[in-house]
Amino acid sequence: MPGVASGSGDTRGASGSNDSSLVPYLPELRQPVVYSLHHGLKPPIGRLSISWSRGNNLRVSVLRPPSAEDSDDVEVGGRVVEVRLSNGDGETGDAKWRRIAYGSVPPFALLQSRRSSVASLSKMSMSPSPYNIDWWEYVMEYSKDINSLLGDSKAPPNPVIDDPKTVLRNVEEPTSLKAAWELMEMFYADKQCQSWLLERLVDWLADYDSLLSSTQPTVHSKLVDFQNELVGLQVIEDNPKYWEVLSSALAVGWIEIVVKMLRLHGSYQFHQLGNREIENGLVETVSFLISKMPRMRPEVEYGRLGECYKAKPDFIKAWEKWRGKITKLDCSAFWLQCDHRQTREGLKNMIQIMLGNTDNICNVTCHWIELFISHFLYVRPFTVGLESMYSLAQKCMQLKPMSSAHGLIAIILGILGENTEVILAECSRAFGPWMVAHAIELLTTGSDEAEFLLQEERHSLGGISIAELHRLVYAQVLSSHPLTWQIAPIYLTSCMKQGMGLLEILLYKLPIQHNETLLKNLEICRLYELDTISSNIMKIAGVYHWKHGRKGSGVFWLQQARDEIRLSRIAQHLFDSVGKSISDESFKQWEGLIELLGSESKTTGGLEFLHKYRDFKKSLKQVYGGKTTDTARQAVESLISLMKNPSTPQRFWLPILHDSLKLLNWQERPLLNVSQTSLLLNKLQELSMAKLRPDFIEADLPPQALSSVRLALATNLGRAILEE
Amino acid sequence: MAITALSEPPQIHRLRQSKYIDAVRWLPPLSALDRLAVIAVFDSDSDSAAIETHSFAPDPENLTQQSQWFSPSRISSLKTSQSHHKPFVAAATLAGSIHILFGDSMDPASLESELLMPEKALHEGPISCVDIMDGGVECVSVGEDGRVNLVSVGESELSYQRIFDSSGLVSFTTAKWASPSEFATGGYGFSLQWWDQRKPGAAVSQFKGSWSQRTTPGIVHSIDIHPSRKHTCLAGGSLGTVFAWDLRWPQQPILLSGVGAGETTHSPCESEVWEVHFDHYAKSSNVGNVSSRILPTMICSEDGILAVVEQGEEPVELLAEPCAINSFDIDRQYPSDVICSLEWESIAILTRS
Repeated sequence: MPGVASGSGDTRGASGSNDSSLVPYLPELRQPVVYSLHHGLKPPIGRLSISWSRGNNLRVSVLRPPSAEDSDDVEVGGRVVEVRLSNGDGETGDAKWRRIAYGSVPPFALLQSRRSSVASLSKMSMSPSPYNIDWWEYVMEYSKDINSLLGDSKAPPNPVIDDPKTVLRNVEEPTSLKAAWELMEMFYADKQCQSWLLERLVDWLADYDSLLSSTQPTVHSKLVDFQNELVGLQVIEDNPKYWEVLSSALAVGWIEIVVKMLRLHGSYQFHQLGNREIENGLVETVSFLISKMPRMRPEVEYGRLGECYKAKPDFIKAWEKWRGKITKLDCSAFWLQCDHRQTREGLKNMIQIMLGNTDNICNVTCHWIELFISHFLYVRPFTVGLESMYSLAQKCMQLKPMSSAHGLIAIILGILGENTEVILAECSRAFGPWMVAHAIELLTTGSDEAEFLLQEERHSLGGISIAELHRLVYAQVLSSHPLTWQIAPIYLTSCMKQGMGLLEILLYKLPIQHNETLLKNLEICRLYELDTISSNIMKIAGVYHWKHGRKGSGVFWLQQARDEIRLSRIAQHLFDSVGKSISDESFKQWEGLIELLGSESKTTGGLEFLHKYRDFKKSLKQVYGGKTTDTARQAVESLISLMKNPSTPQRFWLPILHDSLKLLNWQERPLLNVSQTSLLLNKLQELSMAKLRPDFIEADLPPQALSSVRLALATNLGRAILEE
Repeated sequence: MAITALSEPPQIHRLRQSKYIDAVRWLPPLSALDRLAVIAVFDSDSDSAAIETHSFAPDPENLTQQSQWFSPSRISSLKTSQSHHKPFVAAATLAGSIHILFGDSMDPASLESELLMPEKALHEGPISCVDIMDGGVECVSVGEDGRVNLVSVGESELSYQRIFDSSGLVSFTTAKWASPSEFATGGYGFSLQWWDQRKPGAAVSQFKGSWSQRTTPGIVHSIDIHPSRKHTCLAGGSLGTVFAWDLRWPQQPILLSGVGAGETTHSPCESEVWEVHFDHYAKSSNVGNVSSRILPTMICSEDGILAVVEQGEEPVELLAEPCAINSFDIDRQYPSDVICSLEWESIAILTRS
């Protein structure tokens, strides 16, 4: 079957092609997608031809073999169908991508203009670094603007009557795109949060843990399962799952959930309070200690728990004090008096987690990243630096190996491993060119090494940098869509080396059929001062309209482009139809075009002749209407200016003179003086010479026209000489 | 005297759509509660065009789709009017067809019945503009092919009459009724034509804008005629140009904005002015001098400006977007409300207080 590459079909070349392949092809990376074609042709199909159409569309031409001559086959010979390829990203649809693309234009443009003004400022002050201290604040502003496009982070307001059994709040489904952007923002752009990066990571996991559930179980998926069971549970503290979920949530630091769930403990029930006093006291103490957990961050949102510390020494002191209280509770004698086994063991397990017992932590977390986060919370809360984070991550991964890696995890590893290329590759693979083009702004802010890596001009890339390459790729994607091509120039013009060249190609390739697109295209030329291109586009438009019978628009665009050559060429065509059709009646039709042409010769390629010709005809008409000598004098003026004008085509000379016979034979007195008559006689002489040339066009006049004009001129000359 | 009506900034609602907006209009409301908008959309994903009616609720801001009518081709011109208490919509397409859609008197948002003038009957190629006679059942259509047609809306069918055919020697880009017998058209070279059905055969008056020696004249994209001053035609076009052509002084256009307008006038924009309308809401500051001054005018432009310009006054900017504003409409019943379509697949609704 044509069109499907089958491995078994051609075994001869298979081994050879394997050796020479440049890029190792890993077929397990993505599942092939099957598209069914509805071409409606009867088999057999003779040939398939596939080519790219606009944007993401493939054009498939399905051809039947030529039918035998004698058969009565009336079936069509073939059909062309377009197949729309989805971009393989189920999370974000095309319309949503466009919305992000539009929205990211203003922040991107603002950042670029700030960069160039900062660069020119630093050149003036000879500062050693192009970025002064607040550059990252600009990047942060940019990052926040972009982040706001990627989804609403606003959680719905808390319900007025809080359902105690709703452990997880219903929030909008988070997107990996936003998760990835926030990761890069916190590591590279937000220099302010560097001191409390660990807490940011805890928050990040709380927001996006659900995304990781798609590849393997997580604490979040455990919670979701338990939430579903919760309604049916009678004695919650007897259920081992309750304690398991509690410890898991505690391990990843979701302390609000833990405190809320502890309140569901049966010992809080009014009728049980009396006989479970000690048990309840222990639950309450643990819950209180959890809610007082010290946190190294400037503040917590309203409704969130924990004690905040801005300065590290304060935090260390508080943390040690808090741990001391937990140790004291662990050694308390009250445990012996607690006769509910599940409660005792469950709470003890939670205390072990808070004391940083790695075995317990490992048991209650699912994903390695959860283990990683709980290490920061309970084992090594003072960790600083990417290097130590990276080695910890590797340790966690050994303890909890992944079956398959989520795109986000690969990005986290790239960030911790300080491997810019890996981050770029993963961003590109998981989120496509938009992400890479925009994330580069964050990456270059992260470190000097990354900036050098991304901005260095590379011979292997044809002299452009990695940053420019990715911007160009993104601009190419924008250009290929009929709705987003207009924003591609903003990205192209930010590319120093190849941008302008590609912009010119883009502008040339745009359709000019509709005025709106054409004018939007010309507007871009005007903005970027691409005068040559705009005049070429106008020429293309002019010829297009001319060819499609819209002579007026054709002339207009060629005039705008100041294209003398084409104007004089189409002038010849216009004169052909003028010679035949300009009568008094059809002047109405021509009127608009003649007005458009105007009477100045600069930009009309000889077409201003029409304007003069119309004026001449008008005054002649008045003369024939029986007007005075004055109007006849005016008509003579027009006649002489027409005949003097070099742009008056030769083939009009005789018809013009023939039309003016009445002027030449004016009865009262000769209207033309000697020099004027000589001018006309010379023109007549020139005409007789031109007759001998092969390209001469004979005017459509009575045969005696020439001789009657000659006679009239000779008579007029005689009368003029006598008068003078 | 300042323009007091615009001292407070308008309330702006931006409503994202996932389709390109070719045109927007308010639909004449039947009651004060209905705020209905007609939107011509183009869906690039499915390559289909449609006319949709949406009801607008300001709080929380929301456009709810009420009906949808699929068009065989993209809409090039969209107008709304009312006849016998029934709102109706006239739409012209790039393929050259005209569609008249009627809303129901009980449910004005439903565009249920349609009258069609098929492509190739009226024009060769796209129709540039269609305009409905005020309160009437007659439309004028103009095209790049240089034809001017009158389309009469009958009970069950449309009929047409050709007023003029320039055989492509002149192209028309826009048209607007002035009275039941007169209308104006606009085209290339900042040209305007005045037509009178009582004097058939050709335009009764012509104008060509050539006030600037430095730049060649551009294209008129939109014209408007104020019902109380039918001798003045307002035009907007290339290079931020807005001018008024008074038939009583046909050789002296009044330049309101654009290149050549002189130092006294500040132009709010430099690129294509896509649409112009007289702004019935802005109170003119030139109260004493009624007949000679041009009334306040609202414009939208390719460089994303929605502004009110007035002769001899600083323009008032209502909206400055990072993308083009392609069309707008002022609600006739509630002139404080303006709807406009933005290039980046969204709609903005402004409520002036």
